[in-house]
Order: sequence, then structure tokens, then C-alpha cells
Amino acid sequence: MKINDVVCPFCGCLCDDLEVTVEDNRIVAVDNGCTLANAKFMSKERLASPIRRTGDGWENISYEEAIQYTVDMLLDADRPLLYGWSGTHGEAQCIGVHVCELVGGIIDSTTSVCHGPSILAIQEVGHPGCTLGQVKNRADVVIYWGCNPLEAHPRHMSRYTTYADGYFLDNAFRERKVIVVDVRETETARVADEFIRIKAGGDYAVLSALRAIVRGKGDVVPGSVAGVSRSQLERIVTLCKDAKFGAVFFGLGLTMTRGKYKNVRNAIELVDELSRHTKFTITPMRGHWNVYGSNEVFTWMTGYPYAIDFCRGIAFYNPGETSAIDLLARKECDACLIIGSDPGAHFPRACVEHLAEIPTVVIDPVPSMTTALADVQIPVAVSGIDADGTAYRMDGVPIRVRKVIEPTLPNDREVLKSIHAKMKEARGQ
Amino acid sequence: MTELLIRNACVIDPLNDICGEVMDIAVRDGKIVESVGSGAEVIDAGGNLTMPGGIDSHTHICGTKVNFGRYMSPEDMRAGRTARQGHMHSTSGYSVPTTYGTSYRYSAMGYTTALEGAMAPLEARHTHEEFTHTPLQDMMANTLFDGNWPIMQAIHDGDIRRAAAIVGWTLSAVKGFAIKLTNPGGTEAWGWGKDVASIRDPVPHFEVTPAEIIRAMIEANEMLNLPHSVHLHCNCLGKPGNHQCTLETFDLVPNANNKRQSLYATHVQFHSYGGSSWRDICSRSEEICRAINSKPQIVIDMGQVMFGKTTTMTADGPMEFNLYRLYHNKWSNHDVELETGSGIIPVYYSRKNLVNSIMWSIGLELALLTDNPWQCILSTDNPNGAPFVKYPEIIALLMSKRYRNEVFETVHPNTEHNVPLAALDRELTWKDIAIMTRGAPAKALGIVDLGKGHLGEGADADIAIYPININETDPATSAEEVIRAFSQTDYTIKRGRVVCRQGTCMVDGKNTTIWVDPHISENYSMDHDPEFAKNFDRYYTVRMSNYPVQEEYIRRNLCIETEAQL
Amino acid sequence: MKFILNTGRTVTQGWHVEHKYHQGYFEETSSCFIHPLDLMDLDLEDGEHVEVVSEWGSVVLRAVSCEDLRKGMIFVPLGPFANHIIPPRTHSTGMPDFKNITVELARTERERLTQWELMEKIGGKRYENQ
Repeated sequence: MKINDVVCPFCGCLCDDLEVTVEDNRIVAVDNGCTLANAKFMSKERLASPIRRTGDGWENISYEEAIQYTVDMLLDADRPLLYGWSGTHGEAQCIGVHVCELVGGIIDSTTSVCHGPSILAIQEVGHPGCTLGQVKNRADVVIYWGCNPLEAHPRHMSRYTTYADGYFLDNAFRERKVIVVDVRETETARVADEFIRIKAGGDYAVLSALRAIVRGKGDVVPGSVAGVSRSQLERIVTLCKDAKFGAVFFGLGLTMTRGKYKNVRNAIELVDELSRHTKFTITPMRGHWNVYGSNEVFTWMTGYPYAIDFCRGIAFYNPGETSAIDLLARKECDACLIIGSDPGAHFPRACVEHLAEIPTVVIDPVPSMTTALADVQIPVAVSGIDADGTAYRMDGVPIRVRKVIEPTLPNDREVLKSIHAKMKEARGQ
Repeated sequence: MTELLIRNACVIDPLNDICGEVMDIAVRDGKIVESVGSGAEVIDAGGNLTMPGGIDSHTHICGTKVNFGRYMSPEDMRAGRTARQGHMHSTSGYSVPTTYGTSYRYSAMGYTTALEGAMAPLEARHTHEEFTHTPLQDMMANTLFDGNWPIMQAIHDGDIRRAAAIVGWTLSAVKGFAIKLTNPGGTEAWGWGKDVASIRDPVPHFEVTPAEIIRAMIEANEMLNLPHSVHLHCNCLGKPGNHQCTLETFDLVPNANNKRQSLYATHVQFHSYGGSSWRDICSRSEEICRAINSKPQIVIDMGQVMFGKTTTMTADGPMEFNLYRLYHNKWSNHDVELETGSGIIPVYYSRKNLVNSIMWSIGLELALLTDNPWQCILSTDNPNGAPFVKYPEIIALLMSKRYRNEVFETVHPNTEHNVPLAALDRELTWKDIAIMTRGAPAKALGIVDLGKGHLGEGADADIAIYPININETDPATSAEEVIRAFSQTDYTIKRGRVVCRQGTCMVDGKNTTIWVDPHISENYSMDHDPEFAKNFDRYYTVRMSNYPVQEEYIRRNLCIETEAQL
Repeated sequence: MKFILNTGRTVTQGWHVEHKYHQGYFEETSSCFIHPLDLMDLDLEDGEHVEVVSEWGSVVLRAVSCEDLRKGMIFVPLGPFANHIIPPRTHSTGMPDFKNITVELARTERERLTQWELMEKIGGKRYENQ
């Protein structure tokens, strides 16, 4: 049986045009998706039941036991951390906030190690953005800065930019100019019309130089900035000012390198500057399919997009203090619930070492690097495959991911609901 | 079966012509009934003012741009924090509270129904998710159509039926309530960084004028038999001299419906400016109100500005960009493909600023100069003019000339040369206020028949009991009493349950979403239109089958089915 | 020799997100992409092992020749190997220095640890799916 218009739960592109073939409640083929989608839909690695670590190995346990362990762990802890969230659907994220509020813990998502700095920048200067269809239909200049869509968001260029049909562009591929800015010549750089190679850590200076040129103060710019010639910078500015609609996409090349959120702020301010001349927008390339969803949910429920600490009873936000990396590095948490992410693989070692020391529960369908650090893992149905729910695309558009096969395990929100209910009971509510 | 009896309520219920009568109100299973048995729970209102639950007919509290406003302003979040307590979740936010914060604060003020001012169809799911977490008010969504591509194309082709069919299909799909137009045509022009200069300025490429869009949508609205009229945020918002545009817009409006207005013009304060620049901007409220007074087919809401910090957020992208250029503060923008736009900027309205003082004055003038209170609804375009928690202060200003004068002394000294406020002696009455906050919004929105906005038999038992005795308090001389009373009810009752008691919300709450589903004949339905489907999948970035808001998002809901006459 | 280390996503790393104990994940995330001229200077052949040392520790990776990079720059796909040497410091931003940190490289005869061995070294316990 072929199911059309399936939504892919992998990256922030949230492509919703996949065709999935199902036989006997198993996925046998995926069409239209990229290689990452194939890996996701065709994955056969799932755990069949919750597991608990024993002295020298692992044993299978029941959902009842696993949930009780989690409840006890969180209620006993003084400073529990609830981390991850980007790989699960919105309804589960909402319950996560309620659980965290109840235990007075901290809730944080992978935003912390991805586009957290972008949010910090937005909180300083705002976000002049748009939905991806605006770019697809109008953009004649596209800039990819510090990101590599061909590897991390493989269909981005086909669905939203370079190769996509546009209402206002007769021959989109020819009419669009794609500029790539990076420290190395990536796959994406190779298909660009213009590649700007920057010295590592030089993004801030180059952005400042561009802003100066846009404002007509190009004479303060030296002959070369972070390895980029002034003539190339001037050429880029002319291209941008002559554009009818320019769209900037940026990634971890700005958020992770020296300057962090200041780099992003500078990029946003460049777009603000260009907006006085023509139409320009900027969009962060969100990595996970529902990391933006965690920001949306956390915000409407607590007021803040990530790194929220409830220990005072109110919602308290201070990234750098209340963010997961810092909490773990300072060894401040004494228990951790991880859902929809794999910090074991993606966090610096010092943080992972602390996770190994404290009681840790992982809610995840497949064994991951974090499994090695956990005391209990609770497998769940996969959102977008055998669990439905709300997701927010990298541009904020909400799309519901669907079930294409029937689940054999409970899903994230069901597990969290049980945890929440048991907690309320234990607290006499 | 749950029964409630409210004794000794001093009721003002304009829709049922009750004004200050002390009576009992009987409630059974969430509805007002004739009488109840002796086992009913009893609340003694003690002779205090009792009204139907408040209805906010234009407020920005749920959705994409509202959430933008929250997460880009952690300083606003920190300015209004409460801890978790009993049934109440923790809340954050001053001008853009979190959804629970919004819900609790509205409930404390006696509000039980609200219309979200702007929802982009593509992002409707987000609005509905936030509705679920605004649990103490029944919710409805204004659905944005101002920059809609297939609709503008249909209007250009003169095919109003097709335009109506697209509106109908979309409202059903996204569970919307009404047609909202924000700077019609301007939001599409903003897709290229441009705007429209007047209602006759054609939209780039689509070659339709705002006037054509407005007229066509009013016609479409009546074809679809929608409960509410077109809800319009006029072009040229905030520009000196824009009263001309507003008057020209008003002239477009036919008298097309005998149950209600044919146009609801929102936050008209922002559209009532004379002069030609910031240097000579002045109030034109008198002309605007003259037009309203002679046109029963128009209802407005004030859009009152109050001094202090707040956040502006509208679908009017170009307007927000210009505001950014004035304020040099942080600016967010979010254009929605094929549909509309939005912009968000934190602002500060200052008494020391002449323009802000004039704006403050104009809102009040509109309420005082509109003869018929049914035509002028109380609002601040929350949070654009001010956070909704300022409504009690506005009520006090409208009811007391003395208080108005006191505040007028504190605004910019040159204000009196640019506005007529000082010469206006009118003091609104308790009944006027009840009309402007309950009766008129219910009537304008077309939800009286659903049981909203009144306390007659069969109505929803949404009731607000305020700690004030109208026979003992003279609002003209007791502004502080008025403010205190309207800031917090003794009881807010929703569906017959006490949901808020002196500021403390007593239940988790579960609201109702009210939406419309116009029934359109097969030959006009977009579900059977290959052209529509082809263009949809080609130009949107979401597939047509994934676009509609699924059942899962609306839980308890009230669907108003209408028969479209196409 | 001093180098600048960048870590980041690759398609192969992404493909293995749900297959992290596969050989493919091991190979991809324990790869150190280096410019061919730098390989020469380090006296390394493509495929041989290199020890990468940061202020926070060291890890053995497999050298892979790559002309995309500039001389003096290396790239390691994000994963437990790269993170073994990334310091936890975030400069009060919440975001560690996943990119643009200074490291030392030297040829080594030592073997790479597997991803499970890395986890066990810091107190974890491998999970073997039957």
C-alpha cells in the first residue's frame, strides 16, 4: 500500500511529499526522500522493550517498572534535568514542561548546542524572516552562510531554493544566484555561483565589512578581511542590493565558532541594513525536524524558548547558567531524563562523564551512545512513523507528522502522561 | 446535573434590556435557566454588578507572531512572573504573557470569550495549539486573507464567487471563524519590500486594488452567510493624514446585512490621523465618528493606546518595518507564503511624546464621539496599544470627565492644540460599558444566538460578578473604585462553574473553539478544482493534503455550519 | 603541529543517527579530514592513524585526505570521537566551542577505540542489540 504526502521526521526541512510503501505493517520502500529519510524510515534497529542496566549487562523490564524508576528518580532528585525534545512531537513536549514544572527541574532542548546562539541574537535584535515558500517563489539571491545543506539538509536546495520552481521566476535555476560562505569548500560550495572562503573565526569581521559597504562606508574596509578580498565583498554587496529578494540561510558555522551569538547578530543586522534597500530575509537552518517545535512549545508555556529552570517556582531563563552543557559540566544535575536526542554522542566529554555518574533515563526507540550512560531506556513508537504529532519546520510552519504503520509500543506522549500522572499521585495532587 | 443559583445580582444585560435590576440567576449544566432546585450551590452577589462574561473581539494572544513576540523579548517575560500555585501553572510575560498567563489574567477580569485578531491559514495549527493552552476562554480565530494569491487572482478576474469559494474552503480547512483583512494588498506588496499607498493603489503583479479586495470580500462574506462581517485593519495604519484613507474605506461599505454590521473596522485610533507629517499630526476623530454615526453598517473598536511599555505585533509587515526605522529597536518580520505577513516590535508610549499623547487622546475620543455604543467596542488591539490588563483604566477614563482631565494634565502640553478631547464632556454609563465589552462584541461577531454576551434563558452561563455596587458608587467621581472593581472579579463563572475567585483560578479549564464551516456546492468546491490543487502544490511548500487543521487540534468545539449562496 | 579543528554534520554521519553502533558510524565519526599537504608534513598516509590533542584530552583518529580544507585546518564529523576532546566551556552562551579550536596533531601507531569503548572509558556500559 502506498501512502502519499508523508512527512519526514529527520531534519528541519520537514519535507512532506514522501511516498511510503507499507506491507504487513512494515515499511518496505520510501520515495522522494533523501538518503537521511531513507535511513530513518527503513531503520530496523528498535528496542523491543524497556531495558535496565544491571551490574554487568542489561535486562529487559516492563513499562510499569521503567516508568516507576523514572518517576522515583525525578522526584528524589534535587536538580533534575529534562533534556532533548527535538526528536519528539509537540504534544509530548507540552507534557514535558508540565513534568518539569512539577518537579522544579530544568528543561532544555538540543537548541542549546545548535541554534541557541541564534535565539540569543534574535533576543537582541529581532528576526526578519519569512516562510520557505516566500523564498521559493521570489528569491533571486540566496546566501548560505556557515552551513552545508547538501549534507545536513539534502533537499533544501531542491525544495526551497536553487532548484525549486518559483512563481515569479521563469527559469528559477538560471535566475537565482547562490552564494556560499564557508571556511572549507563543501559540497554545497561546489554548486554555488560564488564561493566566499573565510578564515576560521572571520565571519564577524566579514559581516561588519559587508555592512560598512552597504552603508556606503566601504573605504574603511581594508584590502582583505579574514582572507576575503575587498573587491569580492563589494561585488557581493552590489549583487545583494540589486536583488529583488535576497534570502540568507545560516548554520552552525556562525553559531559554534568564536563570537557565537554575536556572529548571528551581525548577520541579522546586515539583513536589516539590506532591507532598507530591497527585500531581504534570514532563516536559521534548524537541524532537527522538531527542534523549533521545542522552542515554540516552551515559549508559549513558560515564556522562554529553551534552558528553563523551575527551581524557584517561576520560569527562569539564563543560557550559560541554565543550559544543559553548563549544568552538566558544573556537575550540578543529580538526575537526567533524556528524550528525542543523543547527548552521549553530541555533548563534550566532560558532560557525558557526568551523565555516566548520575541516574539517567533515556526515552528513545533505538540504542544510542546515550544508552551506554543510562540506567534505564524506554523505547517508544517513532514520531512520524508509528506515532503522530505536531512538528514545527525551520521557518515556523507547523505540520502534523503522521502514522504510516500501527504502533506496537506506546508513544512519547503516552509514556510522559504516565510519568506525569504517577508523579501527581505521589505528590498527593 | 450541576445547578448554581446566584442571588442578589445587580444585572446589566444590554441584549436583554436589563439595566441595574437586582435579580437571581439560575444555572443548570452550564446554561442559564428559569429556575433551579433547592440543592443548587448558592452564590450571594451581595447586590454587586453582574454582567455576562466579557468578550474581547480583537486581541493578539495566540499564534506564530504572538509567540515571536514572546521569545524575542525575555525582558518582557521577566516583567510579569508568577509561580505555580494550586491549579495555576507558572506564568511569564507583561505585554505578551504566556498562554496560561493570558488566560488567568483575562479570567480575573471577567473575560470568558476572545477572538484572536489574526491567524495565517498556513500556520493555523499553531494558533489552535495555543488555544488549547488558553483554557479559560472560548476562542475564535480571525483568518487572514489580505494577501491571498488565488483570491486576488479571482478578484482580478471579476469572479467573486470563486473568491468566496476559496475563502469558504480555507475557513473550513483551518477551522477559522471570520475573514480578516490586514492592510489588504499591502502585505503582498511587502513580499517585495513595498506597500500600497492608498485603497486605489494596485498590488504589484496581481493588479487589484485594496478597494477591490475589500468590496469583494464583503460580498463573499455575505455569500457565505458568515456570522461575523469582514474584519478590517485599514491600509495606511499609523501614517499622518491616514484618516482620508479610512473615510474612503468606510465609503466602500454597503449595508448588506440586517442582523449586524457589514464591516468591522478594527483599532480605528491608529487610522484617525490628520496632518501630513509627524510635525503636524492631529486627531481627526470627529470626522471619523461623523462617518460612523451616519453608517449603521460599520462597527469599530477603539485600539486605545495607554502609556508605558508594550509590544506591537500585526500582520502589517510594512508598517512594522517603518516603526522599526523610527524606534531603532529590535524588529522581527514573518511573511507567510501566498497569504499574508507580520511584524513585531517592542515599543514604549510616552506621555512626554506629543504623537503618543495624541494617539492616547484619539482612542478615547472615538468612544466619546460615537453616539451609539453598539458601534464602538472597547479594545487596545492588545497588545499593540496596551496590554489588556489596562482595560479597567480605560473604562475609568470613559466614565469620568474628572479623571480624564487629571490624566490629560500629565500628557504632552501641546496635545490640546491637536485634539478635541478637552472639550468632550460625555461620561459613559455602566450600561454603555456593558455594551462595549459584552453586548456589542457578541452582536458584531454574530454569536448571540450561540448563547454569548447575554444572560437570558438558554445562554451560556458565562458570568462576571464585580466587587462594586453601582447604586453606591458614582463612576464620575470614583475612578479608582472603578479601576479596582473591573480589575478583578469576585467570581468569574464559565459554563456554570466558578473558574476564578478574586484573582485565583480554581480549575484547569477546558475551552471551546468556535469555528465556521460554510457548505459549498460541489461545482464550486476547491476540493474538486484541479487548477486550485495544481497551483497549491506547485507554489506552497506544504502539500494540500497536509494543509488542513486536523480534528485533533480542536477538541471541544462549536462548529457553525452555514449554507453558501454561490 | 598546530591545527584548527572544526566539527560538523556529514551525510554519512546523519545516515547513522539511528545506527550508531554500526561500523559505518565508527568509520565516519573517527575520521579526521586533513589537507594532503598537511598529511605530507605529518608524514602520514591516507588511512593511517593520527593522535589529536586539545587542551581537554586526546583521541586517536584515522586520517583522510581532503582538498576541501585549507592547510592548517582539520574536520572531524560530529560524534563521540570529536567530542572526546571538545572542552565543555561555553563562554556563558550555553554553546561549547564545537568549531574553531586549536589542536595538536601527531602521527601515531595506536589503534582507535570503538565508539562503545569510548563510552566505557568514561564510565558507560555498551549495549549490544541481539
